[in-house]
Amino acid sequence: MANDLSPTDLSAVRRPLPQAQGLPNAHYTDPAVFEEEKHALLFSQWAGLAVGADVPQPGDAKPISFLGVPLLLLRDKQGQVRVFQNICRHRGMILVEEPRKIEGAIRCPYHSWCYSTEGRLVSTPHVGGPGQNLHPGIDRSTLGLIEVRSHIWRDVVFVNISGEAPDFEVMHADLIARWAEFEQPLFHGGADSRFELAVKTNWKLAVENYCESYHLPWVHPGLNSYSRLEDHYHIEQPGAYSGQGTLVYRQLTGDDGQTFPDFKGLGEKWNEGAEYVSLFPNVLFAVQRDHCYAILLEPRGLDETVEHIHIYYPSADTDPALRRKNTELWKGVFIEDIGVVEGMQRGRHAPGFDGGRFSPAMDGPTHLFHDWVAAQVEAARARSA
Amino acid sequence: MKGLDARLLAAHEAGDKSALVTLYQQAAKEAETEDAAGFFLVHAYVFALESGHRDAPALRRRLVALKREE
Repeated sequence: MANDLSPTDLSAVRRPLPQAQGLPNAHYTDPAVFEEEKHALLFSQWAGLAVGADVPQPGDAKPISFLGVPLLLLRDKQGQVRVFQNICRHRGMILVEEPRKIEGAIRCPYHSWCYSTEGRLVSTPHVGGPGQNLHPGIDRSTLGLIEVRSHIWRDVVFVNISGEAPDFEVMHADLIARWAEFEQPLFHGGADSRFELAVKTNWKLAVENYCESYHLPWVHPGLNSYSRLEDHYHIEQPGAYSGQGTLVYRQLTGDDGQTFPDFKGLGEKWNEGAEYVSLFPNVLFAVQRDHCYAILLEPRGLDETVEHIHIYYPSADTDPALRRKNTELWKGVFIEDIGVVEGMQRGRHAPGFDGGRFSPAMDGPTHLFHDWVAAQVEAARARSA
Repeated sequence: MKGLDARLLAAHEAGDKSALVTLYQQAAKEAETEDAAGFFLVHAYVFALESGHRDAPALRRRLVALKREE
Protein backbone atom coordinates (compact mmCIF):
# COMPACT_ATOMS: atom_id res chain seq x y z
CA MET A 1 0.00 0.00 0.00
CA ALA A 2 1.54 3.24 -1.08
CA ASN A 3 0.59 6.60 0.33
CA ASP A 4 -2.42 6.80 -1.96
CA LEU A 5 -3.71 3.61 -0.24
CA SER A 6 -3.37 1.54 -3.42
CA PRO A 7 -1.13 -1.53 -3.30
CA THR A 8 2.44 -1.04 -4.46
CA ASP A 9 3.18 -2.20 -8.01
CA LEU A 10 5.61 -5.12 -7.75
CA SER A 11 5.64 -6.17 -11.39
CA ALA A 12 9.06 -4.64 -12.09
CA VAL A 13 10.54 -6.51 -9.12
CA ARG A 14 9.31 -9.83 -10.51
CA ARG A 15 11.07 -9.42 -13.87
CA PRO A 16 14.23 -11.45 -14.64
CA LEU A 17 17.32 -9.98 -12.99
CA PRO A 18 18.70 -8.01 -16.00
CA GLN A 19 15.40 -6.17 -16.41
CA ALA A 20 14.25 -6.05 -12.79
CA GLN A 21 14.02 -3.08 -10.47
CA GLY A 22 14.24 -3.15 -6.71
CA LEU A 23 11.34 -2.83 -4.31
CA PRO A 24 9.53 0.51 -4.46
CA ASN A 25 10.38 3.15 -1.85
CA ALA A 26 7.10 2.55 -0.03
CA HIS A 27 8.45 -0.81 1.16
CA TYR A 28 10.95 1.11 3.27
CA THR A 29 9.09 4.31 4.10
CA ASP A 30 5.34 3.68 4.28
CA PRO A 31 3.84 2.56 7.61
CA ALA A 32 0.95 0.86 5.80
CA VAL A 33 3.36 -1.29 3.78
CA PHE A 34 5.33 -2.06 6.94
CA GLU A 35 2.10 -3.36 8.46
CA GLU A 36 1.36 -5.38 5.32
CA GLU A 37 4.87 -6.87 5.34
CA LYS A 38 4.68 -7.59 9.07
CA HIS A 39 2.04 -10.21 8.32
CA ALA A 40 3.23 -11.37 4.89
CA LEU A 41 6.98 -11.56 5.60
CA LEU A 42 7.32 -12.09 9.34
CA PHE A 43 4.20 -13.51 11.02
CA SER A 44 3.41 -15.89 8.14
CA GLN A 45 6.98 -17.22 7.89
CA TRP A 46 9.49 -18.76 10.27
CA ALA A 47 11.02 -15.62 11.79
CA GLY A 48 14.05 -15.65 14.06
CA LEU A 49 13.05 -14.53 17.54
CA ALA A 50 15.88 -15.39 19.95
CA VAL A 51 18.48 -18.05 20.68
CA GLY A 52 18.32 -21.02 22.99
CA ALA A 53 21.30 -19.56 24.84
CA ASP A 54 19.01 -16.74 26.02
CA VAL A 55 17.36 -19.26 28.36
CA PRO A 56 20.15 -21.70 29.22
CA GLN A 57 18.64 -23.35 32.32
CA PRO A 58 15.26 -25.02 32.97
CA GLY A 59 12.87 -22.38 34.28
CA ASP A 60 14.65 -19.47 32.57
CA ALA A 61 12.10 -17.07 31.09
CA LYS A 62 12.59 -14.05 28.88
CA PRO A 63 9.76 -11.76 27.74
CA ILE A 64 10.19 -10.52 24.18
CA SER A 65 8.03 -8.06 22.31
CA PHE A 66 8.10 -9.11 18.65
CA LEU A 67 6.60 -6.41 16.43
CA GLY A 68 4.28 -5.51 19.28
CA VAL A 69 3.27 -9.09 20.08
CA PRO A 70 4.11 -9.93 23.70
CA LEU A 71 5.89 -13.29 23.73
CA LEU A 72 7.52 -15.34 26.45
CA LEU A 73 10.59 -17.42 25.67
CA LEU A 74 10.83 -20.17 28.26
CA ARG A 75 12.87 -23.29 28.90
CA ASP A 76 10.48 -25.65 30.64
CA LYS A 77 11.35 -27.93 33.55
CA GLN A 78 12.12 -30.78 31.12
CA GLY A 79 14.59 -28.55 29.24
CA GLN A 80 12.44 -27.91 26.18
CA VAL A 81 12.45 -24.36 24.80
CA ARG A 82 8.93 -23.04 24.24
CA VAL A 83 7.39 -19.76 23.15
CA PHE A 84 4.08 -18.59 24.57
CA GLN A 85 2.00 -15.48 24.21
CA ASN A 86 2.97 -13.63 27.38
CA ILE A 87 -0.56 -13.13 28.65
CA CYS A 88 -2.87 -14.57 31.27
CA ARG A 89 -5.95 -16.30 29.87
CA HIS A 90 -8.07 -14.49 32.46
CA ARG A 91 -7.73 -10.76 31.84
CA GLY A 92 -4.94 -10.63 29.28
CA MET A 93 -2.43 -9.30 31.80
CA ILE A 94 1.27 -9.50 30.90
CA LEU A 95 2.66 -12.41 32.91
CA VAL A 96 6.42 -11.85 32.95
CA GLU A 97 7.87 -8.34 32.75
CA GLU A 98 11.61 -9.03 33.09
CA PRO A 99 13.92 -11.97 32.32
CA ARG A 100 13.95 -14.25 35.37
CA LYS A 101 13.96 -17.79 36.64
CA ILE A 102 10.58 -19.46 37.14
CA GLU A 103 11.15 -21.45 40.33
CA GLY A 104 7.79 -23.21 40.40
CA ALA A 105 4.89 -21.79 38.44
CA ILE A 106 4.22 -18.61 36.48
CA ARG A 107 1.86 -16.56 38.65
CA CYS A 108 -0.10 -13.79 37.04
CA PRO A 109 0.55 -10.63 39.06
CA TYR A 110 -3.10 -9.56 38.75
CA HIS A 111 -5.36 -12.34 40.18
CA SER A 112 -2.67 -15.01 40.64
CA TRP A 113 -3.79 -17.58 38.09
CA CYS A 114 -0.84 -19.97 37.91
CA TYR A 115 0.68 -21.79 34.93
CA SER A 116 3.28 -24.54 34.72
CA THR A 117 6.38 -23.97 32.60
CA GLU A 118 4.75 -26.31 30.06
CA GLY A 119 1.89 -23.83 29.84
CA ARG A 120 -0.79 -25.75 31.77
CA LEU A 121 -3.16 -23.72 33.93
CA VAL A 122 -2.54 -25.28 37.32
CA SER A 123 -4.43 -23.07 39.74
CA THR A 124 -7.18 -20.46 39.65
CA PRO A 125 -7.30 -18.92 43.12
CA HIS A 126 -10.73 -17.84 44.38
CA VAL A 127 -12.24 -18.38 40.93
CA GLY A 128 -15.30 -19.97 42.53
CA GLY A 129 -15.45 -17.38 45.32
CA PRO A 130 -13.22 -16.73 48.36
CA GLY A 131 -11.14 -19.80 49.22
CA GLN A 132 -12.62 -21.81 46.35
CA ASN A 133 -10.27 -22.47 43.41
CA LEU A 134 -12.81 -24.41 41.37
CA HIS A 135 -15.88 -23.49 39.38
CA PRO A 136 -17.80 -25.65 36.90
CA GLY A 137 -17.50 -22.89 34.30
CA ILE A 138 -13.70 -22.90 34.41
CA ASP A 139 -12.18 -25.81 32.50
CA ARG A 140 -8.46 -25.46 33.09
CA SER A 141 -7.63 -27.88 30.30
CA THR A 142 -8.86 -25.31 27.77
CA LEU A 143 -7.17 -22.33 29.38
CA GLY A 144 -3.46 -23.05 29.17
CA LEU A 145 -0.99 -20.50 27.88
CA ILE A 146 -1.26 -19.92 24.15
CA GLU A 147 1.78 -21.58 22.66
CA VAL A 148 3.38 -20.12 19.55
CA ARG A 149 4.67 -22.56 16.95
CA SER A 150 8.44 -22.65 17.31
CA HIS A 151 11.40 -24.54 15.94
CA ILE A 152 15.07 -24.45 16.92
CA TRP A 153 17.79 -24.74 14.30
CA ARG A 154 21.43 -23.87 14.92
CA ASP A 155 20.26 -22.62 18.35
CA VAL A 156 18.05 -19.96 16.74
CA VAL A 157 14.47 -20.02 18.00
CA PHE A 158 12.23 -19.50 14.98
CA VAL A 159 8.54 -18.70 15.41
CA ASN A 160 5.64 -18.93 13.02
CA ILE A 161 3.13 -16.54 14.56
CA SER A 162 0.34 -17.30 12.06
CA GLY A 163 0.74 -21.04 12.68
CA GLU A 164 0.18 -21.71 9.01
CA ALA A 165 3.66 -22.04 7.49
CA PRO A 166 4.87 -25.47 6.31
CA ASP A 167 7.06 -27.25 8.86
CA PHE A 168 10.45 -25.55 9.25
CA GLU A 169 12.33 -28.68 8.22
CA VAL A 170 10.27 -28.90 5.04
CA MET A 171 10.49 -25.21 4.24
CA HIS A 172 14.25 -25.04 4.77
CA ALA A 173 15.25 -28.57 3.77
CA ASP A 174 17.69 -27.25 1.18
CA LEU A 175 19.82 -25.16 3.55
CA ILE A 176 19.65 -27.89 6.22
CA ALA A 177 21.05 -30.34 3.65
CA ARG A 178 23.61 -27.85 2.32
CA TRP A 179 25.07 -27.40 5.79
CA ALA A 180 24.50 -30.97 7.02
CA GLU A 181 28.19 -31.26 7.94
CA PHE A 182 27.65 -28.51 10.51
CA GLU A 183 24.82 -30.37 12.25
CA GLN A 184 26.84 -30.91 15.40
CA PRO A 185 26.88 -29.40 18.86
CA LEU A 186 27.26 -25.62 18.90
CA PHE A 187 28.56 -23.85 21.99
CA HIS A 188 27.62 -20.23 22.49
CA GLY A 189 30.75 -18.31 23.40
CA GLY A 190 28.92 -16.65 26.30
CA ALA A 191 28.75 -13.02 27.34
CA ASP A 192 31.82 -12.05 25.31
CA SER A 193 30.33 -13.57 22.17
CA ARG A 194 27.06 -11.69 21.94
CA PHE A 195 26.37 -8.07 21.15
CA GLU A 196 23.69 -5.84 19.69
CA LEU A 197 23.80 -3.08 17.13
CA ALA A 198 20.93 -0.60 16.82
CA VAL A 199 20.62 0.55 13.23
CA LYS A 200 18.39 3.23 11.74
CA THR A 201 17.25 1.20 8.77
CA ASN A 202 14.49 -1.04 7.58
CA TRP A 203 15.35 -4.65 8.43
CA LYS A 204 15.23 -5.70 4.78
CA LEU A 205 18.21 -3.53 3.90
CA ALA A 206 20.31 -5.46 6.41
CA VAL A 207 19.26 -8.70 4.69
CA GLU A 208 20.07 -7.26 1.29
CA ASN A 209 23.49 -6.01 2.31
CA TYR A 210 24.43 -9.30 3.95
CA CYS A 211 23.60 -11.54 1.03
CA GLU A 212 25.83 -9.93 -1.59
CA SER A 213 29.60 -9.75 -1.97
CA TYR A 214 29.56 -6.82 -4.42
CA HIS A 215 30.10 -4.28 -1.65
CA LEU A 216 32.96 -6.07 0.10
CA PRO A 217 35.96 -4.33 -1.54
CA TRP A 218 34.42 -0.90 -0.98
CA VAL A 219 32.86 -1.19 2.45
CA HIS A 220 35.27 -3.72 3.95
CA PRO A 221 38.60 -2.83 2.35
CA GLY A 222 40.39 -4.73 5.09
CA LEU A 223 39.08 -7.97 3.61
CA ASN A 224 40.55 -7.11 0.22
CA SER A 225 44.09 -8.04 1.16
CA TYR A 226 43.27 -11.73 1.34
CA SER A 227 39.62 -12.11 0.31
CA ARG A 228 39.12 -10.50 -3.07
CA LEU A 229 35.84 -10.18 -4.90
CA GLU A 230 36.76 -12.95 -7.33
CA ASP A 231 37.25 -15.33 -4.41
CA HIS A 232 33.50 -15.19 -3.71
CA TYR A 233 30.52 -16.94 -5.24
CA HIS A 234 26.77 -16.39 -5.10
CA ILE A 235 24.46 -18.66 -3.12
CA GLU A 236 20.95 -18.60 -4.51
CA GLN A 237 17.95 -20.70 -3.52
CA PRO A 238 14.79 -19.03 -4.80
CA GLY A 239 12.06 -18.81 -2.22
CA ALA A 240 14.25 -19.54 0.78
CA TYR A 241 17.69 -17.94 1.05
CA SER A 242 20.54 -16.23 -0.71
CA GLY A 243 24.05 -15.29 0.19
CA GLN A 244 27.69 -15.54 -0.66
CA GLY A 245 30.53 -17.94 -0.17
CA THR A 246 34.28 -17.41 0.00
CA LEU A 247 37.05 -19.70 -1.16
CA VAL A 248 39.75 -18.13 0.98
CA TYR A 249 38.52 -18.21 4.59
CA ARG A 250 41.45 -17.64 6.90
CA GLN A 251 41.36 -18.74 10.53
CA LEU A 252 41.87 -16.17 13.22
CA THR A 253 45.09 -16.68 15.17
CA GLY A 254 45.96 -15.49 18.63
CA ASP A 255 49.14 -13.76 19.75
CA ASP A 256 50.81 -17.13 20.26
CA GLY A 257 49.55 -18.56 17.00
CA GLN A 258 46.67 -20.44 18.65
CA THR A 259 43.44 -21.08 16.73
CA PHE A 260 39.96 -22.27 17.62
CA PRO A 261 39.31 -26.00 17.27
CA ASP A 262 37.56 -27.13 14.09
CA PHE A 263 34.10 -28.64 13.81
CA LYS A 264 34.53 -32.40 13.50
CA GLY A 265 34.62 -34.27 10.23
CA LEU A 266 34.22 -31.37 7.82
CA GLY A 267 35.01 -31.99 4.16
CA GLU A 268 38.01 -30.42 2.40
CA LYS A 269 35.81 -27.69 0.94
CA TRP A 270 35.68 -26.06 4.35
CA ASN A 271 39.44 -25.84 4.88
CA GLU A 272 39.37 -22.47 3.18
CA GLY A 273 35.67 -22.18 2.42
CA ALA A 274 33.00 -20.33 4.36
CA GLU A 275 29.40 -19.37 3.63
CA TYR A 276 27.24 -16.43 4.62
CA VAL A 277 23.51 -16.79 4.07
CA SER A 278 20.42 -14.65 4.65
CA LEU A 279 17.70 -17.12 5.61
CA PHE A 280 14.46 -15.34 4.85
CA PRO A 281 12.99 -13.45 6.45
CA ASN A 282 15.34 -12.19 9.14
CA VAL A 283 18.23 -14.43 10.16
CA LEU A 284 21.77 -14.04 8.83
CA PHE A 285 23.95 -17.10 9.27
CA ALA A 286 27.64 -17.86 8.80
CA VAL A 287 29.42 -21.21 8.83
CA GLN A 288 33.19 -21.52 8.99
CA ARG A 289 35.49 -24.36 9.96
CA ASP A 290 36.11 -23.08 13.49
CA HIS A 291 33.11 -20.93 14.42
CA CYS A 292 29.67 -19.91 13.29
CA TYR A 293 27.42 -17.02 14.00
CA ALA A 294 23.80 -15.97 13.72
CA ILE A 295 22.50 -12.44 13.41
CA LEU A 296 18.85 -11.99 14.31
CA LEU A 297 17.31 -8.89 12.82
CA GLU A 298 14.69 -7.49 15.14
CA PRO A 299 12.44 -5.07 13.27
CA ARG A 300 11.52 -2.42 15.82
CA GLY A 301 9.85 -0.13 13.28
CA LEU A 302 9.89 1.06 9.71
CA ASP A 303 13.43 2.43 9.95
CA GLU A 304 14.59 0.90 13.21
CA THR A 305 16.31 -2.48 13.46
CA VAL A 306 18.30 -4.15 16.21
CA GLU A 307 20.88 -6.71 15.14
CA HIS A 308 21.44 -9.41 17.76
CA ILE A 309 24.73 -11.18 17.10
CA HIS A 310 25.62 -14.57 18.63
CA ILE A 311 28.88 -16.42 18.00
CA TYR A 312 29.22 -20.19 18.43
CA TYR A 313 32.18 -22.56 18.66
CA PRO A 314 32.71 -26.32 18.24
CA SER A 315 33.76 -26.66 21.88
CA ALA A 316 32.67 -25.33 25.25
CA ASP A 317 36.32 -24.81 26.06
CA THR A 318 37.79 -22.05 23.89
CA ASP A 319 40.44 -19.43 24.61
CA PRO A 320 38.67 -16.38 26.14
CA ALA A 321 41.19 -13.89 24.74
CA LEU A 322 40.87 -15.34 21.26
CA ARG A 323 37.06 -15.30 21.58
CA ARG A 324 37.13 -11.63 22.52
CA LYS A 325 39.45 -10.89 19.60
CA ASN A 326 37.05 -12.69 17.25
CA THR A 327 34.06 -10.78 18.60
CA GLU A 328 35.87 -7.49 18.10
CA LEU A 329 36.81 -8.49 14.56
CA TRP A 330 33.21 -9.25 13.58
CA LYS A 331 31.85 -6.23 15.41
CA GLY A 332 34.19 -4.06 13.37
CA VAL A 333 32.99 -5.64 10.13
CA PHE A 334 29.31 -5.24 11.02
CA ILE A 335 29.82 -1.64 12.12
CA GLU A 336 31.35 -0.92 8.70
CA ASP A 337 28.01 -1.96 7.19
CA ILE A 338 25.93 0.46 9.26
CA GLY A 339 26.74 3.50 7.14
CA VAL A 340 25.46 1.88 3.96
CA VAL A 341 22.28 0.34 5.34
CA GLU A 342 21.38 3.63 7.02
CA GLY A 343 22.34 5.57 3.88
CA MET A 344 20.13 3.37 1.68
CA GLN A 345 17.27 3.89 4.13
CA ARG A 346 17.58 7.68 3.90
CA GLY A 347 17.93 7.36 0.13
CA ARG A 348 14.53 5.75 -0.10
CA HIS A 349 12.87 9.05 0.76
CA ALA A 350 14.03 10.40 -2.63
CA PRO A 351 10.87 10.48 -4.75
CA GLY A 352 12.85 9.86 -7.93
CA PHE A 353 14.28 6.54 -6.77
CA ASP A 354 12.54 3.78 -8.70
CA GLY A 355 13.82 0.80 -6.74
CA GLY A 356 17.15 0.88 -8.54
CA ARG A 357 18.72 -1.29 -11.24
CA PHE A 358 20.66 -4.37 -10.28
CA SER A 359 24.04 -5.49 -11.56
CA PRO A 360 23.10 -8.54 -13.64
CA ALA A 361 26.41 -10.11 -12.69
CA MET A 362 26.68 -9.21 -9.01
CA ASP A 363 23.20 -8.58 -7.57
CA GLY A 364 21.53 -11.94 -8.11
CA PRO A 365 21.27 -12.72 -4.38
CA THR A 366 19.73 -9.29 -3.65
CA HIS A 367 17.20 -9.59 -6.45
CA LEU A 368 16.35 -13.08 -5.24
CA PHE A 369 15.38 -11.60 -1.87
CA HIS A 370 13.36 -8.78 -3.46
CA ASP A 371 11.58 -11.34 -5.62
CA TRP A 372 10.80 -13.40 -2.51
CA VAL A 373 9.42 -10.31 -0.74
CA ALA A 374 7.28 -9.44 -3.76
CA ALA A 375 6.00 -13.02 -4.08
CA GLN A 376 5.02 -13.21 -0.39
CA VAL A 377 3.29 -9.82 -0.46
CA GLU A 378 1.41 -10.69 -3.65
CA ALA A 379 0.36 -14.05 -2.19
CA ALA A 380 -0.93 -12.32 0.96
CA ARG A 381 -2.86 -9.83 -1.15
CA ALA A 382 -4.38 -12.67 -3.14
CA ARG A 383 -5.44 -14.45 0.05
CA SER A 384 -7.16 -11.36 1.41
CA ALA A 385 -8.77 -10.37 -1.92
CA MET B 1 -3.57 -11.89 64.39
CA LYS B 2 -2.35 -8.29 64.52
CA GLY B 3 1.30 -9.28 64.70
CA LEU B 4 0.72 -11.81 61.97
CA ASP B 5 -0.86 -9.15 59.75
CA ALA B 6 2.22 -6.99 60.13
CA ARG B 7 4.55 -9.88 59.31
CA LEU B 8 2.43 -10.77 56.26
CA LEU B 9 2.59 -7.19 55.02
CA ALA B 10 6.34 -7.13 55.52
CA ALA B 11 6.74 -10.43 53.66
CA HIS B 12 4.63 -9.09 50.77
CA GLU B 13 6.71 -5.92 50.76
CA ALA B 14 9.94 -7.92 50.64
CA GLY B 15 8.60 -10.42 48.09
CA ASP B 16 9.62 -13.16 50.51
CA LYS B 17 7.65 -16.11 49.10
CA SER B 18 8.92 -18.63 51.60
CA ALA B 19 7.78 -16.43 54.49
CA LEU B 20 4.41 -15.93 52.80
CA VAL B 21 3.92 -19.69 52.57
CA THR B 22 4.67 -20.08 56.26
CA LEU B 23 2.67 -17.07 57.45
CA TYR B 24 -0.45 -17.84 55.40
CA GLN B 25 -0.40 -21.39 56.78
CA GLN B 26 -0.22 -19.89 60.24
CA ALA B 27 -3.12 -17.57 59.41
CA ALA B 28 -5.14 -20.60 58.26
CA LYS B 29 -4.36 -22.32 61.55
CA GLU B 30 -5.57 -19.34 63.56
CA ALA B 31 -8.69 -18.73 61.45
CA GLU B 32 -12.02 -19.09 63.20
CA THR B 33 -14.01 -20.58 60.36
CA GLU B 34 -13.30 -23.19 57.71
CA ASP B 35 -13.96 -20.66 54.97
CA ALA B 36 -11.46 -18.23 56.43
CA ALA B 37 -8.93 -21.04 56.77
CA GLY B 38 -9.56 -22.03 53.16
CA PHE B 39 -8.94 -18.49 52.02
CA PHE B 40 -5.54 -18.39 53.72
CA LEU B 41 -4.62 -21.88 52.58
CA VAL B 42 -5.25 -20.81 48.98
CA HIS B 43 -2.76 -17.99 49.44
CA ALA B 44 -0.19 -20.27 51.03
CA TYR B 45 -0.64 -22.72 48.16
CA VAL B 46 -0.32 -20.09 45.43
CA PHE B 47 2.93 -18.72 46.80
CA ALA B 48 4.23 -22.25 47.35
CA LEU B 49 3.32 -23.13 43.78
CA GLU B 50 4.98 -20.03 42.41
CA SER B 51 8.20 -20.49 44.32
CA GLY B 52 8.48 -24.27 44.01
CA HIS B 53 8.22 -24.50 47.82
CA ARG B 54 8.43 -27.97 49.33
CA ASP B 55 5.01 -27.49 51.00
CA ALA B 56 3.16 -27.07 47.70
CA PRO B 57 2.16 -30.75 47.25
CA ALA B 58 0.86 -31.03 50.83
CA LEU B 59 -1.04 -27.76 50.58
CA ARG B 60 -2.64 -28.93 47.36
CA ARG B 61 -3.68 -32.21 49.00
CA ARG B 62 -5.30 -30.28 51.86
CA LEU B 63 -7.23 -28.04 49.45
CA VAL B 64 -8.29 -31.02 47.32
CA ALA B 65 -9.57 -32.73 50.49
CA LEU B 66 -11.58 -29.59 51.22
CA LYS B 67 -12.90 -29.65 47.61
CA ARG B 68 -11.28 -26.29 46.97
CA GLU B 69 -8.68 -27.42 44.45
CA GLU B 70 -8.28 -30.20 41.91
